[in-house]
Amino acid sequence: MTAPRVRQKKMDLLLCDAETLPTLPGVAHRLLPIVMTDPLPARHLQQAIESDAALAARAVLLALRHGHSAKGLTSVDAAFRAVPSETLATDFLSVRIASRESLDRAFFARLWRHNLAVGIASQIIATRLGTVLVEDALLAGILHDIGQLVLAAKLPLAYSQVLELVEAEAVDALEAERRVLGLDHAVLGRRLAQHWGFPESLQNVIWLHHQAEMPIPEGSQAETLARVVHLADLLARQAGFSYHPADAIRENTADVAARLGLSAAHADLISRQIVAGVRLNVGPSGADDTPTPDQMCDLIADANARLGRLYAISAARQHSLESQNRRADLTVQLTARLAECRSTREVLLAAAGVVREAVDARIVVPYVIGSEGEYIEGLAWTAGKSTDEPFFYEIRQERSLESLPAEGWAGPGAAGEVSRAERIEGWLFERMGPRLGDGPFYTVPMTLEGRKTGGFVFALANPAHHPTRTQAGDLASVAGIAATAVKRAQAETDLNALSEDLAEATRELELAQEARLEQRNVTSLGEMAAGASHEINNPLAIISGRAQQLALDEEDPARREMLATIVNQVVRITDILAELNEFARPAKPDLRPADLAALTAEVAAGFRPGADKPAARLRVETPAGCPRVRIDPGQVAEALREIVQNAFEACTDNHTITLSVQPVAGRQAVRLTVADDGPGMDPPTRARALNPFYSSREAGRRRGLGLPKAYRLVQASGGSMALESAPGHGTTVRLTFRAIFEESIPEKLLAEADPSDNRSGRKGDA
Amino acid sequence: MKDVYSTGEAARVCKVSQQTIIRCFDAGKLQGFYVPGSRFRRIPRDSLVKFMKENSIPISALDSGKKKVLVVDDEAEIVELLTDVLQRDGRFEVKTASCGYDAGLLTQQFHPDAIVLDFLLPDINGNTVCKTIRSDPTLADIKIIVITGYPDDDRLQGLAELGVHAFMKKPFQIDTLVSKIAELLAV
Repeated sequence: MTAPRVRQKKMDLLLCDAETLPTLPGVAHRLLPIVMTDPLPARHLQQAIESDAALAARAVLLALRHGHSAKGLTSVDAAFRAVPSETLATDFLSVRIASRESLDRAFFARLWRHNLAVGIASQIIATRLGTVLVEDALLAGILHDIGQLVLAAKLPLAYSQVLELVEAEAVDALEAERRVLGLDHAVLGRRLAQHWGFPESLQNVIWLHHQAEMPIPEGSQAETLARVVHLADLLARQAGFSYHPADAIRENTADVAARLGLSAAHADLISRQIVAGVRLNVGPSGADDTPTPDQMCDLIADANARLGRLYAISAARQHSLESQNRRADLTVQLTARLAECRSTREVLLAAAGVVREAVDARIVVPYVIGSEGEYIEGLAWTAGKSTDEPFFYEIRQERSLESLPAEGWAGPGAAGEVSRAERIEGWLFERMGPRLGDGPFYTVPMTLEGRKTGGFVFALANPAHHPTRTQAGDLASVAGIAATAVKRAQAETDLNALSEDLAEATRELELAQEARLEQRNVTSLGEMAAGASHEINNPLAIISGRAQQLALDEEDPARREMLATIVNQVVRITDILAELNEFARPAKPDLRPADLAALTAEVAAGFRPGADKPAARLRVETPAGCPRVRIDPGQVAEALREIVQNAFEACTDNHTITLSVQPVAGRQAVRLTVADDGPGMDPPTRARALNPFYSSREAGRRRGLGLPKAYRLVQASGGSMALESAPGHGTTVRLTFRAIFEESIPEKLLAEADPSDNRSGRKGDA
Repeated sequence: MKDVYSTGEAARVCKVSQQTIIRCFDAGKLQGFYVPGSRFRRIPRDSLVKFMKENSIPISALDSGKKKVLVVDDEAEIVELLTDVLQRDGRFEVKTASCGYDAGLLTQQFHPDAIVLDFLLPDINGNTVCKTIRSDPTLADIKIIVITGYPDDDRLQGLAELGVHAFMKKPFQIDTLVSKIAELLAV
């Protein structure tokens, strides 16, 4: 191994674990009571730090650990501002004391004084110069030999040899160190300062304070500081504050001072000031004290006790932080999962998963109580099963479940406590019982605004365990979030249902409006026709009468035939008018209970396949047990005949007309459907299908009164008639009648129909 | 053609009171006989004609022997048609009215055997006309035939209770109408 690499290795060893450097027993003896005092006497603490290299180094290190940047961290003041004094105090509780056995403690005492002296000297010089901050000079001076402190503390035996070499051969410490250890404290100190991240100015001071020539820009602040400390070191040693009695000063102090612009007289003055300063500071610092081992023991025991207490507090804080962190993790996890949930079931499933992870559960049964307390919805999630078991219990009034705490909930668990479930959630065990497996079971309520909205029942994977308080807290958080999410999901579901209802209502409203328009159309056309019939019948009577008269006198058979045609055509007109009139004012219905199925079968039987043209097939589906309806059987049969006739006329032999009767709307109504798979109507035809004057067939063949007439007749019996048709999809006519003996039927199923005809104000009705 | 008249019928034909006829019958100025087994007086057509001629009573009413029919309709063409038809038949003497008021007046003056009534008149409802006629016992023998252009009016219900003898829709078969009237008047 080459020398530089060996040196590097050694340095690495020294660098690690060098953070806590020893101080003198007397200093520690003064320091410990200070840091154990409440409230902390910060000024005393700062004074202690400013006179001790080990403590100063530690303070700077802590400031760096607290995130203070190295730049600007050039004074004890700065370090003190960066670190809470309580933190410094706690740290100093574990102060290290220079060991007695390994190295002459006198060396540590001398080194301590030397450091203090150089600090004071630097301060004085800086004050005199005015170009370097006094506080910076103090810290630099205190810390300038930090490398030496490390070497002595870490390698006490080797350093004893160094000191012997210094004494025996009158070499300076750096030389002796290099000879014995292969490196000197200036280099090591610089590396250490680098390693710790000390400000560069400090690094330079520690490295260069022995040299007259410095590899840093001349005239810079850093150079001035290093020269200040260099001079301070020389002056302190001159004043007798050397780290070794055999230390010989080889440099010319006056030259060094001159480099800073100070005269020899200045230097002498400074030297005297150093002596006074050290004397002033040593006393309060306790450096000269020699506490007995018993005193130290007691003090250290006290410090240990305090450390123990502080540790306990911090451990507790740590634990609570950890559980808070875990809870935060849980809630973040749950919130993330819940964000995806759109239904109560999804929320419960997500929450069950989180509960399982939180307490290692064997089974989790989350449930919610309906907002009116009318039902319980939940699911049983079991470890190892791929599917959960949803359940929904309706709560009937006559069978109210014991312990269903839907209202006024303020029971245990609300404060994040886990209760045994068997007692509280009796309803669950009553219903699911053995399927839940063996207990013990626990329950955590979901509460929202003081009301219990649900809960989690669970059993742990290990039945011997009991949920801890922390877990209880976790579960309470989960339950709280789940409760809110459930409410949101319910609201969303309600909203969906509401919008569906709205859409349905709108659709029905549109249909009703359409039906009303259709009816108004039909009625007004019929009214008009009826009114016209009187006016038309008079001239018809004259035409017919005169033609008959002429025919009586007519000798020519051809002319008599023509006159007969006139009379016959008048009869035909009269028939049309009569039909229109009948349409407009259907005869008063004779309402009585009837079996729609039987009526349908009867009407169907009346249709015989026509011999003249191939007819569509007629199929009848009438299940037994339909409720009876109150109708005018004759009129409804006539209506049905019209509808079927219409279907027959639209269809050919490869089509089927299906008549079916079935109960609808929970047996509160009966529907008669006439469906054909014929060509269907195009929209214009469909739109006018109930128009009494409209017929898609050849003019004169039929007057197109079939469907409109059926419509009127069905209405007269209190029913509704709906027509659905599209080209290629056939035509379906649905007649719906209210069933008998049922209390109510949704009005929407029945268009308004007024069978009693109370028209008045007719012509001549005065 | 009637051969034998009661005292009431003779009084109506002669336009005198029934008491006058009875007095003349009892005084032998008007020849006749009693219905066997009763005190009902009967006057043969020949002796009534002789009595009317002796007393200078116009015999036109007796002579026609036709049934009197009152046609009531607000439609002039209908009235004209019906008048034409009934007169051409030869058995009816026809008067016409175009409103309820005229109908009432003529009923009293003309004392028709039958009224052909349009049910919906401009001033008075056919119902009212019927009721008025039926409330007068002296008009009890008038037959009422209703014709209407409204075939299915609810108000046509109960026409029978109003003393309507026949009901026909417009337009009608004229021979059916004529034979109906003849049937009702037994001619």
